[in-house]
Amino acid sequence: MEKGKNIFDKNYKKAYLELSNGLKFEGRAIGANVITSGEMVFNTGMLGYSESMTDPSYLGQILVFSFCLIGNYGIPFPKDGNFFMSKGHESSSIKTQGIIVSDAYDGCYHHDGGIAIQDWMKSQDVPGIAGIDTRYLVQIIRESGNLWGRIMPEGAKPQDKNKFEFLKNFKDDEYVDPSKYNLMPSVSTKEILYMGDSSKVISVIDCGAKWNIMRMLLERGCKVNVLPWDSDFSKINCDGWVISNGPGDPKNTQDLGERIRKYVLGSNKPILGICLGHQLLALASGAKTKRLNHGHRSHNQPVFSLPEKKAYMSSQNHRYAVEKSSIQPDWQLWFENANDDSVEGLRHKTRPFMSVQFHPEASSGPNDTSWIIDKFVQLVEKSKK
Amino acid sequence: MPILDFLLPKNGKKQKVILLGSGALSIGQAGEFDYSGSQAVKALEEEGLEVIIINPNIASVQTNKGTNKKVYLYPITPFWVEKIIKIEKPVAIISSFGGQTSLNCVLALEKSGVLKKYNVKVLGTQVDALELSEDRELFAQKMKSIGVPIAKSHAVSAVKEALETAQKIGYPVITRSAFALGGLGSGLAKNETELKKLTQAALMTTPQVLIEGSLHGWKEIEYEVMRDKTGNTITICNMENFDPMGIHTGDSIVIAPCQTINNTENNTLRDAAIKIAQSMGVVGECNVQYALNPKEYGFYVIEINARLSRSSALASKATGYPIAYIAAKILIGFDLLELKNPVTGTTSAFYEPSLDYVTLKVPRWDLSKFTGVSKNLGTQMKSVGEVMAIGRNFCEVMQKALRMVNENDNGIMSNVFNNATDKELEKELLSPTNLRIFAIYESFKRGKTIEYIYEKTNIDHWFLSHILYLSKIEKGLFGFFEKNFVKQDIFTAKDVDNAFKQIPKEHLQRLKSRGFSDFQLTKIFLFACLNSKIKLSIKQVRTLSFGVRNLRKKLGIVPVVKQIDTTSSEYPTKSNYLYLTYDGIYNDISSKKNCKSIITLGSGSYRIGSSLEFDWCSVMTSDYFKHKKHDSVIINCNPETVSTDYSASDRLYFEELSYERVLDIIDIENPKGVISCMGGQNPNNLIVPLSEAKVNILGHSPKSVYGAEDREKFSAMLDKLSIDQPEWTSAVSIAEIDKFISKVGFPVLIRPSFVLSGTLMNVANDKASLDYYLSLTKDISKDYPVVISKFILDAKEIECDGIAKNGEVIVSLVSEHIENAGVHSGDATMVFPAQKIYTHTVNVIKDIVRKIVKGLNLNGPFNVQFIAKDNDVKVIECNARASRSFPFISKVSGVNLAELSCKVMNNERVKKILLDESEIAYVGVKASMFSFQRLDGADPVVGVEMASTGEVGCLGEKFDHAMLLSMEATQIKKPQKGILLSTGREKDKVKFMEVIDNLYKLAVPVYATKGTANYLEDRGYKVNIVYWNKNPRAIDIIIDGKVDFVININKNLSVDELNNNSEIRKTAVKCGCSILTNLEKVIAYLRAYDSYEELQNLEDCITL
Repeated sequence: MEKGKNIFDKNYKKAYLELSNGLKFEGRAIGANVITSGEMVFNTGMLGYSESMTDPSYLGQILVFSFCLIGNYGIPFPKDGNFFMSKGHESSSIKTQGIIVSDAYDGCYHHDGGIAIQDWMKSQDVPGIAGIDTRYLVQIIRESGNLWGRIMPEGAKPQDKNKFEFLKNFKDDEYVDPSKYNLMPSVSTKEILYMGDSSKVISVIDCGAKWNIMRMLLERGCKVNVLPWDSDFSKINCDGWVISNGPGDPKNTQDLGERIRKYVLGSNKPILGICLGHQLLALASGAKTKRLNHGHRSHNQPVFSLPEKKAYMSSQNHRYAVEKSSIQPDWQLWFENANDDSVEGLRHKTRPFMSVQFHPEASSGPNDTSWIIDKFVQLVEKSKK
Repeated sequence: MPILDFLLPKNGKKQKVILLGSGALSIGQAGEFDYSGSQAVKALEEEGLEVIIINPNIASVQTNKGTNKKVYLYPITPFWVEKIIKIEKPVAIISSFGGQTSLNCVLALEKSGVLKKYNVKVLGTQVDALELSEDRELFAQKMKSIGVPIAKSHAVSAVKEALETAQKIGYPVITRSAFALGGLGSGLAKNETELKKLTQAALMTTPQVLIEGSLHGWKEIEYEVMRDKTGNTITICNMENFDPMGIHTGDSIVIAPCQTINNTENNTLRDAAIKIAQSMGVVGECNVQYALNPKEYGFYVIEINARLSRSSALASKATGYPIAYIAAKILIGFDLLELKNPVTGTTSAFYEPSLDYVTLKVPRWDLSKFTGVSKNLGTQMKSVGEVMAIGRNFCEVMQKALRMVNENDNGIMSNVFNNATDKELEKELLSPTNLRIFAIYESFKRGKTIEYIYEKTNIDHWFLSHILYLSKIEKGLFGFFEKNFVKQDIFTAKDVDNAFKQIPKEHLQRLKSRGFSDFQLTKIFLFACLNSKIKLSIKQVRTLSFGVRNLRKKLGIVPVVKQIDTTSSEYPTKSNYLYLTYDGIYNDISSKKNCKSIITLGSGSYRIGSSLEFDWCSVMTSDYFKHKKHDSVIINCNPETVSTDYSASDRLYFEELSYERVLDIIDIENPKGVISCMGGQNPNNLIVPLSEAKVNILGHSPKSVYGAEDREKFSAMLDKLSIDQPEWTSAVSIAEIDKFISKVGFPVLIRPSFVLSGTLMNVANDKASLDYYLSLTKDISKDYPVVISKFILDAKEIECDGIAKNGEVIVSLVSEHIENAGVHSGDATMVFPAQKIYTHTVNVIKDIVRKIVKGLNLNGPFNVQFIAKDNDVKVIECNARASRSFPFISKVSGVNLAELSCKVMNNERVKKILLDESEIAYVGVKASMFSFQRLDGADPVVGVEMASTGEVGCLGEKFDHAMLLSMEATQIKKPQKGILLSTGREKDKVKFMEVIDNLYKLAVPVYATKGTANYLEDRGYKVNIVYWNKNPRAIDIIIDGKVDFVININKNLSVDELNNNSEIRKTAVKCGCSILTNLEKVIAYLRAYDSYEELQNLEDCITL
């Protein structure tokens, strides 16, 4: 018998996961044959892997799926959705540096699916490792707080540095640490995108916006203008603002916070901040943000509104959070996390400004808080009158 | 405001709440309600309430005595519940934890104004919402009003109406009956004839039948929803059926969480589930079932259950989220945000569990136990139990579950169909029976494609592709061994070790992570390399499989222990809810070195012959050692049980009760001892192999167990001790059988060797029956001997349960059967203390027991069965383990046999208990519950093969009371319309005259078949004569609803006689009549009517 070759499984190819704490895991290479590194994060959602992998908030991160079976229903073939925003995708490409799974299904039979997850990853130059004890890995990430990792398939080449702007000056012997970079240029649109037609005009400040934010605004009869993160907000004429989700540390966004304070808050139009947008809005209001131990990345974060104490299941993906003690006097705590009491939402006491740490646009995850988008659009309509 | 005002103590006194149980286990309503009920009791007691349990299911954990709890073992009927309300004056009643039985009872009490009269509030979902969920027409309207799609359907109340409706919808159609569980009275009709048959039957038992367009082949998906009174709502779990629409969920293989639906589909269905719960005003738990279109986006809601259910128990076990416990808290006023997730202890109960594993439920059928039953699966549930496997991939859980469900080491490789033709396989795929999964595997082995199987079964490609993968692994490995090794006649474990050494380590790891057991891997090697004429026993293969085990351990390929923690490790937990997997490298708990743990082996799937009662024993055992500060560990794989509630032990391994897996756990636990005598026969079978592997078995020594179980040995011992036994032989040829019969004469009891599909035990009355029954068994040979014993007619059956220590009896308690010998002890009606045995006989029995206990040197629980005729007492068998009757005897006598067993096993000092049975304040009657109504085509006759699915135990000041109550609790209802009589042999007819006046006192028309009618008329009784084959026909008067009570006694046990009466019995069952087929039981029952009025008028009820 030929030494070292698995005659039972001819496609078997090893890959290693090296962690910044010195641990090393061996598994089966899936996806592209490239070496990448990134911040190690985990998501405990059991479905919605294609939405997660294309979520720009995961930029620079290696995503560990705690659920053991990923890829079951394949990847929806990028069909023409509204303005090319295909169903099942939250941006035009995979944003994670790579994925770590216990098991990746190599097929696609769902009526909405078109391609197997491994083929999709190959086509987008994204590597992954299967056969890893993801439960163990989640525990390691949870306990270590800050952890970086590198995916190393046997005989693979380094990642193409032109893929994302922030990678340009990256050296192969380091671990990619997204918190060190301003990631906005890597995920934000380069020019204004105009979607839909309506008298209700919403400007979405694109910090790495998930497509579902735009989809939901369009469904609610809005015209949506997607703005580059660095556009001149003072020149924008609109009826309301959405500050989108996105990757990285809200403080590492150059003057974005300041420009939001000046021109967005200053415009006195209704504002909705989502995730990073919520943190940016908080910063702009004078509050502070902090880095959480391992953040919230799941579809089952329990949040409740104050003062009614109405509870919702929410989808989340964030590392940073607003410090409760720093909330400014003219703002109030709107939502709180039922598990760890962290700040989940803020609203202005008198003006139509609100923001949430979780994702009312879900995708993936539960739709319990989609009413926030309704509420925002209603505010926009009201303020127009 | 946590708890509702009116539930707070008043004047320092606790408020009382009635919790209704579900009564006897039956198909469609099984052990899951003991689990839910027990959790609820715990939740309610914690909040300072006194819980009044009404449930005649004496073997349940929830009917154990407790400090803040009163237990009434009464039928769950409006009459008895009202009586208890009058006595106890509770402030509230809870219907959500006792299945359809308790729900229907509360609906009736509300309707009749009883609840209002006594000011008893219904906790949780209110009655109007319950009614809405039960009445299909109203439910459909409600769904339409909130914009949730529901399949086109129409409620009909007549056959003609049904046919017209189906014409409009178009065939095939599905029929469903309202106010029923387990799909009773439902089915698929492809044409008018089938529809006519279905609706006719359904309308006998329910006023309303629903006709729906068929959604055959759609995905079937379920959501478990929890909602509190403030409206906060979560979905705890979703589940997907492997078998698409068309097979009842209870009969489907089910995976949790859903695997083949995407985020959009999941959240659409989740949103709808929440919307439905909101709109109905659910407070507590409810489940929502959907049909999901597999070809495009689209779904229909099928039904909801606004109560705890089989699915909610499964969801609790699948996720670790204690649904019933939290639901009970919600019912009494808490909201989800106020409660903590008990698994983590720190996070909120308003939480949807995240899983990092998958679970698979596989139903257990015992269809071969019933004569004549159709094995085809459809919309009526037929399974009697289930197992759940936990693992990190689909192959692993499928393999585990298939080994668990029939305790068969071969699992998916059982080769049920290896001799089947392609045509037969195709038929199995098209019209599935309980064996379809094996047909799929076999088809793949024969090279069939996923597409081919999909076309025939509509099972999702994702599932099929994994089964295909498993078959490829088996074939690949087989091919490898065949190519590389020479065929031999003999192998050693070392040879097996060497063979598997040739496989790359990562592939061996892969084989294990895809669920192949060492036994299966060894089997594959042997298929390829052992000369085909050599047959090896299970024991031999097990020994060889140690080659794989040893090699694996050397290579470090061992399973790891993982916790179930509801959060996928997002938060640290100390969860003690564990499973093992090969798809991982890290143990969540460290291996134990202190030898502190005591492992109790549970009973596995509920099945006919092993049910709740053994779970009760396991729970008592675990509880005992928990309180003794040992590490009490349970291994079990049955999601319906209390023993698999993680709070029942210090560590719960939700795992296979297989030899390999138990050894794996022993490697981790290094236990002080293992207990295998409390979970029934299944774990008991492991005693010998485990002790050979040097495991310390507590209680009886393996030698004692072997001495009791090996017929030859046991029989020789009885002879030595001069204890009488029925004559018997183990025959390996027809000639030997004939020789034996010529010596002892007919009738004889035949017990064929066990084969996978199961063969029946039978009594042969003559040569013809003997030949017929033998023709049903496999070839008689050395490997498959047939045990034949003399069958003694008209003999009494007596049992003695007890505990022994070092060969001395600590306690022995004698009970009797009402039925004569010939009815399986699991089906018989049991009376304790025995009422009709002479003191002398009791003394003889206790003396024999002393001798047997000494002879076998028993050290733990035991049960001995006797037959007695005229003063002759003969021993039938001795079980060196806890028996089915342990909870019954324990609760009636007040001597907790399970606890006493534990003391013995823990080597504590125990005093002999000299209990005078005649001093016991009341009489207990344990009666069996049959589920024939769900088993199309089954003949509801009881015999030597056990057929009951559950039991009750009721108490009375005197026998008659207990008898009437236990009959009522097993659905033998006082006749209202008429009685149909067939009283069997001449001698039986004579005997029956003892109670004939009681029968006529019931004042309903009496019908009788010819012989019986003539006999009665001759003696001056007015009777309506009916015939087999001319008008008025016996069957017609049943169908026409002229009788609701059928007494049908066989003349003898010949095949012809059975067939003749079988039509009457089957029809009676179909039409929902009460039916009794045993003369002694009928006589005891009718005689008890002497005390009927007295019982009804009693002002007090007996509590435990």
